[in-house]
Amino acid sequence: MTPASRLPGRRVSFDESVRRRTLGNGARLFVLENRFNPTVAISGSLNAGSLFAPPDRRLLASVTAGELAKGTARRTKLQIAEELESRGASLSFSAGGGDPVGVDIGAASLSRDLEVLLDVLAEVLLSPVFPEEELEKERMRLVGVLREQQDQTSVRAFEAASRRIYPRGHPFHRRRVEERIAAVESVSRDELLRFYEDRYGAETLLLVLVGDVDSEKILDGLERRLGSWKRGPSPEIPRPGPVPAAPGSETVRMPDKASADVVLAQPADLVRQDPEYIACILANSALGQSSLTSRLGVRVRDTEGLTYGIHSGFSATYLAGPFAVSLTVKPESRDAAVAATLEEITRFRRDGMTGTELTDEQSSHVGRFKVDLASNGGIAHAIDASVYYGLGVSYLDEYPSLVRAVTKEQADAAFAKRVDPDQFTIVSAGSFPS
Amino acid sequence: MSSPPVPEIAAAAFDFVSEKAGIREFRLRSNGLKLLLLSNTVAPVATFAVVYHVGSRNEAVGHTGATHLLEHLMFKGTAEYDREKGTAVAAVLEALGARFNATTSFDRTNYYETVPSDSIEIAVRIEASRMRGALLRDSDRVPEMTVVRNEYERGENSPFQVLYKETFATAFREHPYHHPTIGWRADIEGVSTDRLKEFYDVFYHPNNATAMLIGDFEEEKALAIVGRHFGPIPSSARPIPPVYTVEPPQEGERRFIVRRTGQIAWIALSWRSVEAGHPDTPALSVLGNILGVGLTARLHLALVEESLALSVTVVPWQLRDPALFSVFAPVRPGVEPGVVEARIRREIARVASEGVTEEEAKKARTQIEAEVIFDRDSTDQVAASLSEAIAVADWEWYADYPDQVGRVTAEDLRRVATTYFRDDALTVGLYLPKESPAA
Repeated sequence: MTPASRLPGRRVSFDESVRRRTLGNGARLFVLENRFNPTVAISGSLNAGSLFAPPDRRLLASVTAGELAKGTARRTKLQIAEELESRGASLSFSAGGGDPVGVDIGAASLSRDLEVLLDVLAEVLLSPVFPEEELEKERMRLVGVLREQQDQTSVRAFEAASRRIYPRGHPFHRRRVEERIAAVESVSRDELLRFYEDRYGAETLLLVLVGDVDSEKILDGLERRLGSWKRGPSPEIPRPGPVPAAPGSETVRMPDKASADVVLAQPADLVRQDPEYIACILANSALGQSSLTSRLGVRVRDTEGLTYGIHSGFSATYLAGPFAVSLTVKPESRDAAVAATLEEITRFRRDGMTGTELTDEQSSHVGRFKVDLASNGGIAHAIDASVYYGLGVSYLDEYPSLVRAVTKEQADAAFAKRVDPDQFTIVSAGSFPS
Repeated sequence: MSSPPVPEIAAAAFDFVSEKAGIREFRLRSNGLKLLLLSNTVAPVATFAVVYHVGSRNEAVGHTGATHLLEHLMFKGTAEYDREKGTAVAAVLEALGARFNATTSFDRTNYYETVPSDSIEIAVRIEASRMRGALLRDSDRVPEMTVVRNEYERGENSPFQVLYKETFATAFREHPYHHPTIGWRADIEGVSTDRLKEFYDVFYHPNNATAMLIGDFEEEKALAIVGRHFGPIPSSARPIPPVYTVEPPQEGERRFIVRRTGQIAWIALSWRSVEAGHPDTPALSVLGNILGVGLTARLHLALVEESLALSVTVVPWQLRDPALFSVFAPVRPGVEPGVVEARIRREIARVASEGVTEEEAKKARTQIEAEVIFDRDSTDQVAASLSEAIAVADWEWYADYPDQVGRVTAEDLRRVATTYFRDDALTVGLYLPKESPAA
């Protein structure tokens, strides 16, 4: 076992044990040896998310990412899949979720198969051809998936809330499904090729490998595979201006749904690099991160029995997303559940956290940090996120003390500044009488 | 490989039973509690879990869902860990940063917590307190019943879950796999606190449980901790009642339809199969991969590549009693569900008539071998896999599984396909949208 193999016990810091290399074209590579289990996890990113697509063609980002592995200059989709699946290895590219900036890269293999995995990773990243027949299949599949999602109360509630809060064209605005289906049906191979040419390149590429590997050998191998790639677009990220809150409510009526979804959301001024980020997430944990122990969970689930699940959270990436509370209810219980939720948020904002809540949340975050770093995948993801947001590898070493340094006053003020119970857009989706 | 000696402290309280694949089995002398230890020093964390051999399989009409409701109440309070005292189980664990939960299934209920290694004793103490000390107050059941009812309602929103529940209810008429783990709605609403207490008193005993500790710990200390907290709990006064109901053979294809408002049709085909402990289980598992795992799997090629379905999921259920081999697929809008059904049946029949290639068998075996190795990346994943094995067979089944899978041949696959994929043993379910999809 190498010194780094007992990772987060950490006599050796992440900053000292992570090997890194920046290639001439700007690609940033990070490797951490962890020899306990013969596996490797890869986590990475590239700035080619929906923010960089035209406002009425946001789907280009997710379709381009999803089609990368559908064929290269050398191999068909099924040949690529066979190469990985015959080894139990996996590779995925995805754009979407809450971050409009990045495309997520995820991969894993047994360490004996890593060279094959890296060959495929480099091949699909550098020489995808986006075959027309694959795109045609994907268009048909995506239309079905969009329709399937429209049967889900949670999707309908979130989409309606996003339309009320964010104006058309904003990266967080979700257009109506008919418009999105029309966009899917009209997406062309030329558009994908153009988006790929414009947005994919080494300068914003970030790859983190953690596992049973020889770091110098892997860095050399990655340099050999990726060193010749074009630099591509600059890492500059355009940021949309602030959006005013849109208080009000809406009901989306869907028949035959035993459970309804309710979303309370408002724009919140918080990005991941904000110095008050940790203060905000500590406050939110006390309010609503856990259905079992947070204030909203204790009141709305544990005491009143109105929901199976209630959660609140900020969406802080490079862009400031919404602060949202979501819960599921029997339709007849909605009004009582919403009233209880608003009452708890009002009280929380007025009185702040208790001292015990803050210390409990601090120890919880520090402990959870250790627990989450207990697998190759967890470590790779944590390094990736720290570097992606410009916080650096050393952020992982500093994180526990940053959490412990937050005071009650800081957490209360950071939360109160960003969340106002009078400013929620409240959307329910389910079988409500008209 | 020679086993390390059993530490002296442990020798006083525990019998060392056996060791395989790094897993060491001990038995607590005072009450018969089985304890499994597996060292994994990937990080300074450990997962402690307790599996009770009680699930919805042990329920009957009137108290379906009782096991699951009881699992919820186990978070509400014990003599030692009680919200009223500010020591609620979840609050104590949350403050440690633990990853914790409990889940109920057909054959078992499990409680687990992954904690920093220096907090192992807290996890052990909580579980010992739950084993006989749950308060099970009516004032806790009343609000928790509606929480569970909302969990049930959320399930009813999902076409996949609705099909899966109806499939078991149709394929099993006599055996308790007939009813879902969450229970029937009226039973969730109607079961009394006294009935739940009775259930608790019958099944929550050390001799009906297996505890496990996986991760970074010293064996001697771990045995001392478990012995200290579980040792004083007596074994059950009465024997644990066995389940003796057997589902008779199915003598003809069964079909059902659920119609609800929606946009997408779903289809499920399920064949009666075997219990997890059966020698054909590894072959059925390999067949599940050949048919359903990855873009190159047979049913993916036949359904998704051909634009007939949006996705396909193959589940070779592994349960304590004979179960099912299921295929689920959401149908692409514009495609007749009957076309998808015919295609699935054709592919399944082809495995029996033509067999599979040696390359396909090898690929599937390698995938399963890799999954087992990936499991060991994290202590909670090993705990989850080991818990399922204990519930449906025993821990040695988990230890032997990679070898068993490694021995499956293409010929075995053809034989099991011929044996189990018979029309008379098939249940076909359709979830059909009541209105035509919106234009």
